[in-house]
Amino acid sequence: METECEGALAGYRVLDLADVKGAYCTKLLADLGAEVIKVESPEGDPSRRLPPFAGDIPDLERSLPFLFRNANKLGITLNLDTESGKGIFRQLVQSADVLVESFAPGFMTGLGLGYDALREINPGLITASITEFGQSGPYHNWKGSPIVDIALSTDLIEAGFTEGAPCSLPGMPAYDATSVMAAISIILALFERGSTGEGHYIDVSVHQNARLAIYPWMVTLHSYNRTPGGPEPAPEIRMGAAVYPVYPCKDGYVRVVTLTPWQWDALVKVIGEPEVLRQPEWREFLHRVANAAALYDIMVEFTKHYTMMELFEAGHRAGVPIAPVADLSDFVDSPQTKARGFFLDMHHPAVGKFQYPGPPYKWTETPAAVNRAAPCLGEHNVAILCDRLGLSRTELAALRLAGVV
Amino acid sequence: MKKVPLDGIRVVSLGTGGVVPDCVKILGEMGADVIKIESKQNLDFVRTIGWDINAVPGFNEINRNARSFGVNLKNAAGGDLVKALVERSDIVTENFRAGAVERLGLDYESVRRIRPDIVYLSSQGFGKTGPYSGHKAYGPLMAAASGMLRLWAHPDDPYPVGSTVPIPDHFASKHAVLAILAALDYRRRTGKGQFIDLSLVEVGANLIGASYLEYTVNCRQPQPLGNRSPYAAPYGIYRCKGDDQWCAISVFTEEEWRAFCGAVGHDEWTRDARFADTASRLRNVDALDALIEEWTSQREATEVMNTLQAAGVAAGVAARSADALADPQLEHLQAFVEVDHPVVGKKLYPAIPFKITGMTFSESRPAPLFAEHTVEICREILHLPENEIARLVDAGVLEVAS
Repeated sequence: METECEGALAGYRVLDLADVKGAYCTKLLADLGAEVIKVESPEGDPSRRLPPFAGDIPDLERSLPFLFRNANKLGITLNLDTESGKGIFRQLVQSADVLVESFAPGFMTGLGLGYDALREINPGLITASITEFGQSGPYHNWKGSPIVDIALSTDLIEAGFTEGAPCSLPGMPAYDATSVMAAISIILALFERGSTGEGHYIDVSVHQNARLAIYPWMVTLHSYNRTPGGPEPAPEIRMGAAVYPVYPCKDGYVRVVTLTPWQWDALVKVIGEPEVLRQPEWREFLHRVANAAALYDIMVEFTKHYTMMELFEAGHRAGVPIAPVADLSDFVDSPQTKARGFFLDMHHPAVGKFQYPGPPYKWTETPAAVNRAAPCLGEHNVAILCDRLGLSRTELAALRLAGVV
Repeated sequence: MKKVPLDGIRVVSLGTGGVVPDCVKILGEMGADVIKIESKQNLDFVRTIGWDINAVPGFNEINRNARSFGVNLKNAAGGDLVKALVERSDIVTENFRAGAVERLGLDYESVRRIRPDIVYLSSQGFGKTGPYSGHKAYGPLMAAASGMLRLWAHPDDPYPVGSTVPIPDHFASKHAVLAILAALDYRRRTGKGQFIDLSLVEVGANLIGASYLEYTVNCRQPQPLGNRSPYAAPYGIYRCKGDDQWCAISVFTEEEWRAFCGAVGHDEWTRDARFADTASRLRNVDALDALIEEWTSQREATEVMNTLQAAGVAAGVAARSADALADPQLEHLQAFVEVDHPVVGKKLYPAIPFKITGMTFSESRPAPLFAEHTVEICREILHLPENEIARLVDAGVLEVAS
């Protein structure tokens, strides 16, 4: 299991009991070199059942959301409802630095595996609990989901066209955002443990963390707008089409940012300086926002003559930021994506060879790396339970029959 | 006083806009001394989105905890002062235009010669390398270029429009914090610093990583789903009573479905063949959603949320800031902190969102006024004599708050 290049977190061992809420957290740690052991029930993490599937064949090893968020992890199975399962888990805790779990508040304590019990085995253990609403408080037993969490985060109400329903973001941004925050808290605790030797318990809720790592300004803007005698609070409505307009072009769409008058001047230049756009009021950002529909009708007549890449490059030369509204093939095939080697070659026993989106940063000393595909269910039972903990193959077989692994 | 985790760590931030300031703000909350390099010649554009450079809400949010050092970097003596600060620092962050830090002699290769164990993070829209590395980028454009915006639409929308929210800026700034902390911990163990090259467009692509696998594994372009789910129904945003009020609802299991039908007073739906199981409900999702909206549209969004959550069904209003401020759970979690700023007074800002037992964080400090701490930093860190400071101010090398 040795890798060629060690990541920044090499040498740390992470036990991962988290479901989809925390899967991106432990993936981030694994991409930076931590050894992450994903501990699943013998039935498998429920997120193995999330579509779409590779080849559209529903199978525990073929869920694409699972394959994305669980790459780089080792996988074992363990039934924590059994005494033998708990015993093995306690053994794993002895040599772990970090435990990440996402059960409902109190569940681990109910199993006899709460933080207080585990720190007696390993005083340096850092435990992070990721829940929907937090360990305590009036909503701590409430249920969440990707769409419910995004709605509550204040990130939904401004998304989409003004007239229609708010439009949810693709993917599972509330969970992934929470996961990044959880990973930050864990590395901070590891850093502090380096000088104190002390473990920590970390309480991370999706409800509070999702807004932080998606867009946290709503309440602050509101509080600025509530100054006595000041302007009325701005309406919280869907203005995306007016503020960051999207225009059709020859082969797709572009999005344009013109916050300053000189960015606007550059845009006008890019589309050939049409007379209709040279009236001075169009240079005012607020005028453009207030008259976005009229501006759209004018702009389309000009943007439609260019390709996405022509506008992207011309904008760069003239000084106005313009980006293609790339579809996924545009991004995969982009010379930038290729030059940076963003997609990595991956091999998975059930899925075969495929291209996998890599980590979003390059490191000079300790490269972020994805060294293996997501584990098959129980793939590393022998490596961890026998080779490391010392169970014999016969004992492992007996545990399997007893439903422990 | 108990030590804060990043006590003794100093950051020099050559950062403007959203990502880098937000990243170092968090390092500041963890106890780092953050020095923001500013200049009238090259003002952080976020300071200009308003009438007073010291009163812009977005600026004052993400520049909390920093000290502002006003210096003209175009002047060689100014560059030398910043290099002297870098020599006494642990972390450098930058997102200047392509080529700028190289011209200033503040790129990683130059900095490591004066501070070999520096942790240096560069945040660029398309990353520090590659043919587009010089292209200017704002978050909303990176949502577009990463493929994310293409999927952020209702299936029947004429084109994807996204939002006024600059995604993935804040997601990227948190990846930057994570990377810097991991690099600091590596340096603690090995003494080695390094350079980290963060790409916003790649952060955006990671937000839709599973969709990328749909393309690379299944060889097809995923289509936007809007508020629908391929594996759950009911699942969506439902119109409620009032102007532009909405509640999100999701039902995954049969137990939740029965609880949902009971809570909305329509037990008969559990016996309706169209809704017999998830697959049936997905086939008849338009009819189902229309029935649900009949119920939700007669009720306040908060009532819909509370009624369903009481029955064990996930539901949440499409919250505005006033809803967040009235949310008893966020109040319990102490999600917002009031900070007093010399120009704008007491305002609310997001607090550190996780609780770590036995760890103390710094009290959140207001964003600096422009060049507020120039003189203080010259005295404390650079140990310059008063007459030298005065000379540099007169010569236009140092800039001070007016």
